[in-house]
Amino acid sequence: MSIVEEVLEITLRSLAVSGTATLLASTWSVPLAYILAKPGRLRGLIASILEALVGIPTVLLGLALYMLFSRSGVLGFLHLLYTAKAIVVGQAILVTPLITVTACRVLKSARESFEEMALALGADDLQAMAIALRESLPGVASSVVMGFSRAVGELGIALMLGGNIRGATRVLTTAIALSVSMGEYDLALYLGAILVAISVLVSVTVKLLEEVQGP
Amino acid sequence: MIALGLTAYWMFTPHVVRVRISTTTSLYQTGLLDRLAERFEEKHHHVTFEFIAVGTGRALKLAERGDVCAVFVHAPRLEEAYVERGVIVGGRIFAYNYFVIVGPSSDPAGIRGSESAAEAFRRIYRAGEGGRALFVSRGDNSGTHVRELSIWRLAGLDPQGRPWYKEAGQGMAETLVMADEMMAYTLSDISTFLSLKEKGRLTNLEVLYSGGEELINIYSAYVVESCGGAERMYAEEFIEFAAGPEGQEIVASYGEEEFGRPLFSPAASRLQELKALWEKLAGAQG
Repeated sequence: MSIVEEVLEITLRSLAVSGTATLLASTWSVPLAYILAKPGRLRGLIASILEALVGIPTVLLGLALYMLFSRSGVLGFLHLLYTAKAIVVGQAILVTPLITVTACRVLKSARESFEEMALALGADDLQAMAIALRESLPGVASSVVMGFSRAVGELGIALMLGGNIRGATRVLTTAIALSVSMGEYDLALYLGAILVAISVLVSVTVKLLEEVQGP
Repeated sequence: MIALGLTAYWMFTPHVVRVRISTTTSLYQTGLLDRLAERFEEKHHHVTFEFIAVGTGRALKLAERGDVCAVFVHAPRLEEAYVERGVIVGGRIFAYNYFVIVGPSSDPAGIRGSESAAEAFRRIYRAGEGGRALFVSRGDNSGTHVRELSIWRLAGLDPQGRPWYKEAGQGMAETLVMADEMMAYTLSDISTFLSLKEKGRLTNLEVLYSGGEELINIYSAYVVESCGGAERMYAEEFIEFAAGPEGQEIVASYGEEEFGRPLFSPAASRLQELKALWEKLAGAQG
């Protein structure tokens, strides 16, 4: 395999792994954000806990999940360790607080301004929720983009749960770490440029899609 | 006033020379360098050593960029390339030990009792092809990785790309943990293996093949050519100390209390022989 092919393979794996992780996290983070977007003591408490967890060190989460997935861990029987699936699970957990907290902020103002109006005009709960979600779609989309950016750029989980195995679990960040440890700074910077380009491209694409669909 | 204060502070504070040394993680993690530095610092009060533990490739790269003043490494072929370019000078061999082939105690490839490391690798290859064994490679161009590749070459085999051959691209400790989890074989330096085993991190792995000149692991120290002044002077003195009688005594006994056996052998008594082996390794591994 040539170096170009290998870089391409690693790039596609990064996209697939972090993309899946982000979408997976969104399926529970956005509904959770919607629930939390209403005033309440318990809701407030959960929201502050999630806010604190936004910056959790990836290597810490990686270690905790490693202990779970290890042969001698509670979930060892799943044989997830050192597979791409393990990275997906880890990154999905990692970005959950970020997506929830940021989406919650947008949904809060949408619920305040539209939901009550919709209810007052005779909409039922579900219809009101649909309106609130639709109105805050751009904001929720950027939460998801932020989640993707955090997932694709994290190193600790991919390294500890994936193992940086060539042709199996090597992603852009672990490949960068490897190049740096080998003293191949040029390759590391090149891979880094791809990583940044992907994040920017995804973000810009989502913005463009919003404008096309815009109100 | 502040400037005066700072100047006075600078003038009356004993000036401490910081000597930066890059080294490989496997050597650093044993604690030998800290022990050597402690002893050295007992006699030279205004010097302090700062070790930067990275992969061998990066350790030499740091030297090339002038970020460190000395390197302590164990990859003759890589060292040779930097010596030739004039980046590092004054090489001294100060210690050696042996690589070991470790694997699950059930030894599915049956490498116990192999006649050579190459023979053991051939057996692993056969078992791998038969779906009975896995091998985790460092895959990071480290000293250990370079040596592993040369053994494959000696065995006349190329495992790269085989499904049972996993290139981890990580440090020795991480690679050993992976091999332990996967019930796989790997090549390790004896010190990292023993220290992880001691900590209870490796439950399945055992030393299955050891010994022989082919698995010798030679540690050398160099001064970085671009380094100057007091830092260079102390770096040179420290290397002399490590390779000298007092340093060699520390090398010979280091690890006994913790692991029940020394982790390194002093190089001084076998220097000519080690130099010849080093030359062979520097040339043969391409």
